[in-house]
Amino acid sequence: MKHDVIVLGGGVNGLGTARDCALRGLKVLLLERGDLAAGASGGNSGLIHGGPRYMLSGPKVTERACRDSGYIQRLAPHLLFRIPFLVPFTSRRERQSLWERAVAYATEVFFSTYDVYQPLKRGKPSVRLTAEELYRLEPGLRPGLHGAVTFDEWGIDAHRLCVLNALSAKGHGADVRTWTEAREVLREGGRAVGVSWVDRVTGERGEARAPLIFNATGAWSPAFARRQGATVKMRPGKGVHLVMDRRLSDYAVVCNAVDGRMMFVYPHQRESWIATTDDDFYGDPDDCEATADEVEYLLEGAASVFPSVRQARLTRAFWALRTTLHDYGPNEDALSREHELIDHAAEGAAGLFSFVGGKLASYRAQSEEVTDRILRELSRRPVACQTHEEPLPGGEAVADAAALAARHGVARAVAGRVVYRHGSLAGEVLRLCDDDPRLRLLVCREEGILAAEVVHCVRHELVRKLVDLRSRLKLAVGACGGLDCARVAAQLTARELGWDPERTRRELAELLEAGWRERRAVLSGAQLAQEELLRGAHWAVGA
Amino acid sequence: MLVVGGGLAGAVAALAARARGATVLLVRRSPGATALFGGAFGVAPDLDALPGDPLLGRRSPLESARRLAARRPSHPYAVLGVHDLDEALGFAGAQLSVLVEPADGRPRFLAHVSGGLAECGLCLHSQAAGDLRRVRGLAVVVGFSGHLGFDARLVAAGVGRLTSAGGPRSAAVEASFFTGPGDGALRPFDLARALEAPGAAEALGAAIRGVLPRGASVALLAPVLGINPAARVHARVEAAAGLPVAEVVSDPPSVPGLRLDATLLARLAGAGVEVLDGEVAAGGGPGRPVIVAGETVEAGAWVVATGRFIGGGLVRRDRMAEPLFGLPVIASETGAAGLTLAGRSPVSLTFRERTAAQPLLAAGVAVDPACRPLDEAGEPVHARLFVAGALIGGHEHAADQTGLGVAILSGWLAGRGAAGEAT
Ligand SMILES: Cc1cc2nc3c(=O)[nH]c(=O)nc-3n(C[C@H](O)[C@H](O)[C@H](O)COP(=O)(O)OP(=O)(O)OC[C@H]3O[C@@H](n4cnc5c(N)ncnc54)[C@H](O)[C@@H]3O)c2cc1C
Ligand SMILES: Cc1cc2nc3c(=O)[nH]c(=O)nc-3n(C[C@H](O)[C@H](O)[C@H](O)COP(=O)(O)OP(=O)(O)OC[C@H]3O[C@@H](n4cnc5c(N)ncnc54)[C@H](O)[C@@H]3O)c2cc1C
Repeated sequence: MKHDVIVLGGGVNGLGTARDCALRGLKVLLLERGDLAAGASGGNSGLIHGGPRYMLSGPKVTERACRDSGYIQRLAPHLLFRIPFLVPFTSRRERQSLWERAVAYATEVFFSTYDVYQPLKRGKPSVRLTAEELYRLEPGLRPGLHGAVTFDEWGIDAHRLCVLNALSAKGHGADVRTWTEAREVLREGGRAVGVSWVDRVTGERGEARAPLIFNATGAWSPAFARRQGATVKMRPGKGVHLVMDRRLSDYAVVCNAVDGRMMFVYPHQRESWIATTDDDFYGDPDDCEATADEVEYLLEGAASVFPSVRQARLTRAFWALRTTLHDYGPNEDALSREHELIDHAAEGAAGLFSFVGGKLASYRAQSEEVTDRILRELSRRPVACQTHEEPLPGGEAVADAAALAARHGVARAVAGRVVYRHGSLAGEVLRLCDDDPRLRLLVCREEGILAAEVVHCVRHELVRKLVDLRSRLKLAVGACGGLDCARVAAQLTARELGWDPERTRRELAELLEAGWRERRAVLSGAQLAQEELLRGAHWAVGA
Repeated sequence: MLVVGGGLAGAVAALAARARGATVLLVRRSPGATALFGGAFGVAPDLDALPGDPLLGRRSPLESARRLAARRPSHPYAVLGVHDLDEALGFAGAQLSVLVEPADGRPRFLAHVSGGLAECGLCLHSQAAGDLRRVRGLAVVVGFSGHLGFDARLVAAGVGRLTSAGGPRSAAVEASFFTGPGDGALRPFDLARALEAPGAAEALGAAIRGVLPRGASVALLAPVLGINPAARVHARVEAAAGLPVAEVVSDPPSVPGLRLDATLLARLAGAGVEVLDGEVAAGGGPGRPVIVAGETVEAGAWVVATGRFIGGGLVRRDRMAEPLFGLPVIASETGAAGLTLAGRSPVSLTFRERTAAQPLLAAGVAVDPACRPLDEAGEPVHARLFVAGALIGGHEHAADQTGLGVAILSGWLAGRGAAGEAT
């Protein structure tokens, strides 16, 4: 089959572009070598923030991000949740020095400038808090803070944002192939005309043809381009997050790492996250993992505002690579979050374009820009972009969890989680329980996952492997590591996809392996006992 | 004599000491890893056996333990020696005879709920008919049509992998059972309790009888045949089904684990061991009084069987520590026995491959051949202080299928040793 565009990479930029292209009538093929959001789009801070940090260096980034954040709220209201931030005024002394007071004042002014952008994303204006007000909100903060300024942001389940874009793209005719790696760009007379690919599940190989190839392989793209004799310059920055088993605070708190870098400790869904490191990364992206030194660096920074993080239960550390534009000289933090579309025509591959940089929060605008360009390159008539209006699947309306719980006979809390993940499609998920009461089996008590939801996902959400349920449902991702859910989910998935028992056991082993990678750097206290339990539970599942 | 910890290791130590005439007090804070085990008493898997090797010719647990000891010098079998293993297993089997089949020196092969296989030295009565080494003909795995928690097909495929090695042929069927409105959402314990009700086990037996293919020689079931042994669920199902019935090995939450825990407590009481619910704090020791649940306790000899991370015998916060005596914690499985790992990071004590032996999870105290813990200098800490079970380092007890074998051997040695010292 012939396509108009082949998109390489199932991160938010590849998927957003595939969706936009499909909505504008192009025949799209998207190839992703792993699961959707396997790269930075899954391993980021999960914030649809306006990027106040970039207000000074790149106010355009801030404005675009804020405007797009507003759109994303309209497209997928169920996936977003408000995260109010506190920027405490710190001091090493009993009373603030003049300099510290000046910094506090500057901070306040800074965020009142950010307030200008807040209406774009339904954000609340910043507020100056006294020390007393601050401690009333977050009594666990270390003593001696002199007050704070607030600012308002939104959190999101970034994995699901990607999945919804993929589903929408598919719904509008795109072919989305996960676990399929692009190998070589096929060329004819200085033009890129297609790619060869290999399916990593079946081993099948093939070629796909299209006049335009959009390379959105994130941190993998420098190496990918090099193999094709082309150049993508990038300064990949490794970012590690730590995750706690519960919410440590109700508010996000901005703090400083030992080297002065800005970090934050914040609630994200039912967990608290510590974000993040930012270090140049020269290795193979596939080898990336969290190290002991990164864990300690983050804990030290977080403990400078919440001393009790030292007692908290860390459940995992996850990582990803920022795809930052190349620049020689500046510190990692100071690198621009702008993006760039590279045209490889001069390297003998006309029709091949690579995307570098950008932000999750601005994915829609980035995709729109890329799609406009693609239409021009293909000499198509311009078609108006609809991605700022057309809801993502489930984003059409907000479902009433209490009513659904009553109608389908499931717990209110479970229905709430299903609504969070599926929005207006929650009823469709829960209806499965009416037809087959066995699907009321609660597979995960932590995330509130019913057997019905596993089945729904496998049927409708482009699941090819058991590990895909990590990103779709956070299955086997939390503190329990898959103790209860892993085997049952494997059985359910096997039924749906017709896996034989050997395959089922292999898939189960891979699911457990993925969780182990994320936990291994933080095994301590109760989480270490949990690992012992988990290994006792799953010893019979070999490699 | 005082035993700290009431898992299998502590219980065997108490019973072995009692059998030698000691007066024994056992203190335990809560159920430990023992209450989570799946039903198969792992002693020593045969590391040299290939999947296709005939089951009948497989090595005995004792021989496998000997080979394992030769290969892994920091494993407790290597440190303690295995000459007393058969006697210890025999002792444990006899003490737990209401629940456990007698040891006969041969390995048993049981199907696991995940489709894997468990090789073990002892097993429960309710599992014995499912020993794939002995079953001839056709093993039929029976699922419940109304419940998705147990996948008969997956288990049958696991059994089928042994057919060429002389195991039975296998098949999977579904019995129409647990089809009530809320049954699909039940958890293993709920299923087990439901089967204890009058008539339930018989109804299940009849349902099984109705779906058995011709030539079935055993029915393998989910490990949910009752929690309370007095309800005799297994025997009732078997009688109604009209053929031998066996539970497969469980993963947690494990009904067989709960049964073992209850049986241990009953046996301790029967043998005249005083059991106290409570926590032993640091500061005590042989001849040094300690306050437990408000009572002052003094004992001439101590057996510490506080388990690993689940039991609480080891804790890791910033560092790894043994909280009762501050015993040094060693690494193992790496070949570098004696390596002090207290302060090292989890990353440097684990391997990237999940299925590799993980030093972090094999951490524990070092012992001499009499089960006495060693100090930094490699000397016994105290002549009358003993340790047993998962607290002993050098084996990844939860995952290497030697956990309960080590608990029994070391419990037996420590209990006898302590009784000898105490009297
Ligand atoms: C630590 C961290 C925190 C961040 N926090 C935020 C935040 O809070 N808010 C925000 O707005 N932005 C944030 N970002 C930035 C944001 O995550 C990224 O800009 C965005 O996700 C990049 O998406 P992408 O699609 O370009 O790349 P990726 O998501 O990395 O996608 C690339 C994809 O290509 C696939 N691929 C690679 N090679 C091939 C091949 N040969 N064939 C097929 N597929 C291939 C990969 O598997 C991968 O899925 C953060 C980034 C990081 C690293
Ligand atoms: C999920 C799982 C499955 C397993 N499956 C198998 C299997 O199939 N086969 C196999 O051979 N092995 C298996 N194992 C391993 C086996 O269960 C253990 O190795 C064995 O039970 C350890 O026994 P123990 O008595 O040493 O420790 P535990 O059973 O953990 O007992 C420790 C006891 O010490 C008590 N304690 C601790 N500190 C104190 C204190 N300060 N004061 C008072 N009491 C204290 C605890 O409360 C507890 O009662 C499994 C383990 C797990 C976790």
